[in-house]
Amino acid sequence: MTATVDRPRRMVVIEQAAILARRSVVNTWRQPAAWTPSIIFPLMMAAIYSAQFERVTELPQFPEVDSFLQFILPATILQGISFNAGEAGSALATDIETGFFDRLMASPVGRQSVLIGRLAGAVAFSALLAAVLMVIFVVFGAAPEGGLASALAIVVIAAALSLSIGGISVAVALWTGSPEATQAVFPLTFIAIFVSSAFFPTELMSGWYKTAAEANPFTFIIDPTRRLAIDGFSFADLGQALFWIAVVGVFTLGLSYRAYLARLRRS
Amino acid sequence: MTSTHVSEREFAPYWSTVEILTRRALVRLVRMPSLLIPMLVMPAFFAVSFTGTFEGVTRVEAFPTDEFINWVAAFAMVQGSIFAGIGAAGAMAQDLDNGFIDRLLVSPIRRSAIIVGPLVHTATRALVPVTVVLMIGTASGLDFPGGVAAVLIAYVAGIGASLVLGALGLAVVLHIGNIRAMAIVQVLAFGLMFPSIGQVPLSLMTGWLYDVARVNPATNVIRMARQGFIGDVSWADTWPGLLVIAIGIFWFGGWARWELEQRAP
Repeated sequence: MTATVDRPRRMVVIEQAAILARRSVVNTWRQPAAWTPSIIFPLMMAAIYSAQFERVTELPQFPEVDSFLQFILPATILQGISFNAGEAGSALATDIETGFFDRLMASPVGRQSVLIGRLAGAVAFSALLAAVLMVIFVVFGAAPEGGLASALAIVVIAAALSLSIGGISVAVALWTGSPEATQAVFPLTFIAIFVSSAFFPTELMSGWYKTAAEANPFTFIIDPTRRLAIDGFSFADLGQALFWIAVVGVFTLGLSYRAYLARLRRS
Repeated sequence: MTSTHVSEREFAPYWSTVEILTRRALVRLVRMPSLLIPMLVMPAFFAVSFTGTFEGVTRVEAFPTDEFINWVAAFAMVQGSIFAGIGAAGAMAQDLDNGFIDRLLVSPIRRSAIIVGPLVHTATRALVPVTVVLMIGTASGLDFPGGVAAVLIAYVAGIGASLVLGALGLAVVLHIGNIRAMAIVQVLAFGLMFPSIGQVPLSLMTGWLYDVARVNPATNVIRMARQGFIGDVSWADTWPGLLVIAIGIFWFGGWARWELEQRAP
């Protein structure tokens, strides 16, 4: 008897992706070691920087803010998201290393569903994470000026950004198949966020570094996100942040798709 | 002695085991550029990005130096070295995942060599970030009022910090048992480094941070590494750092050894 499998046509790609996304979320949730750093680390940085740099807010070049904590609200959330987005790649690399990825490839699962499912899982978990971080900031007195509308807009931006950043870690996971190499991407993302207006205003920087920070796509995303936090809600700021996330996403998701095709050829 | 024990003469020579494990880790590092690149890039970015981002802090009254690189170079070196230590723990995590450690545990080798090998590897890796930051610092106008001693002390602090975090990383990885432990190790490393005098002096800190940074052991190591870039090298600024490193290696190395013993069949 020959057992032929009528591959991807049996199930709708979206349904399969949803199942795999759910698996990704549940898998992440069941391993607190994987997601607690995404909350603890950015909050720790926020607490430290607000105590280190509170006096800097008195400098004339510093934007008008209630506190340094309010200034770094968007940076804190985006940093947590980048941590979690890196975890998406790490989990995929583990799947490759343990052979689960190859088993998926041999099963009647649509090829696109595997990639979409992994990234969708990261987006869902990031939205949850951003909401938790936002609530903690509100509790500590750094609520966004625009109230619920601004808070929701920042959560949406964070979730969208996790998709763009997740594309990089997923690409590295697919290229190397090594969780360790994928983990090594996180510090690079951290640095990319650092060389922007995330933690300090570009008005207080100088020379080529200021130019680099001003040209960094993260600055284009963080500045409007920060305005949502310190000035109040505006569709223009939300749209500007989402536009630049889409620009970054075209590049990173394109990379991950190419890496995915390369992995499929090797599988 | 029961028949299940391996006699003293049947163990492989200790230091040759350490050497082989160290060489294996270094060869793996060279063969995987994706692991090597962050080792070179990270300390460079630490030096450049901290200086560039927080340069404006020197405008606050009473900041100890006009050039932020003089203040932050030591922080970048120690931070980069700590990442070198974490990398060694990452390699151990992968070896746990692929079963290599289990095979070592049933081999006739001294178990402490399984810990010491990665630590020697860590110390070797730490030379890279310190050298990179010194080169970038020199190009960016880093001062050396402490002369040659400033450079030597910086290397001692970097290697020491990498050994302490390497040992801590090994202990955590062995305790948790897989690559996901690395995220915790990274948070621990940042958690140790940032609430310290790495970026601003104690006099600029407000609230709880002042009290924490004052007693944070990383403060002593950073102060030791920094002293030669902002003044003369002195024993008073050196011994607290050395003491922290010695205690850290002993404590976390012991913990890692104990965790390894729990995994033994």
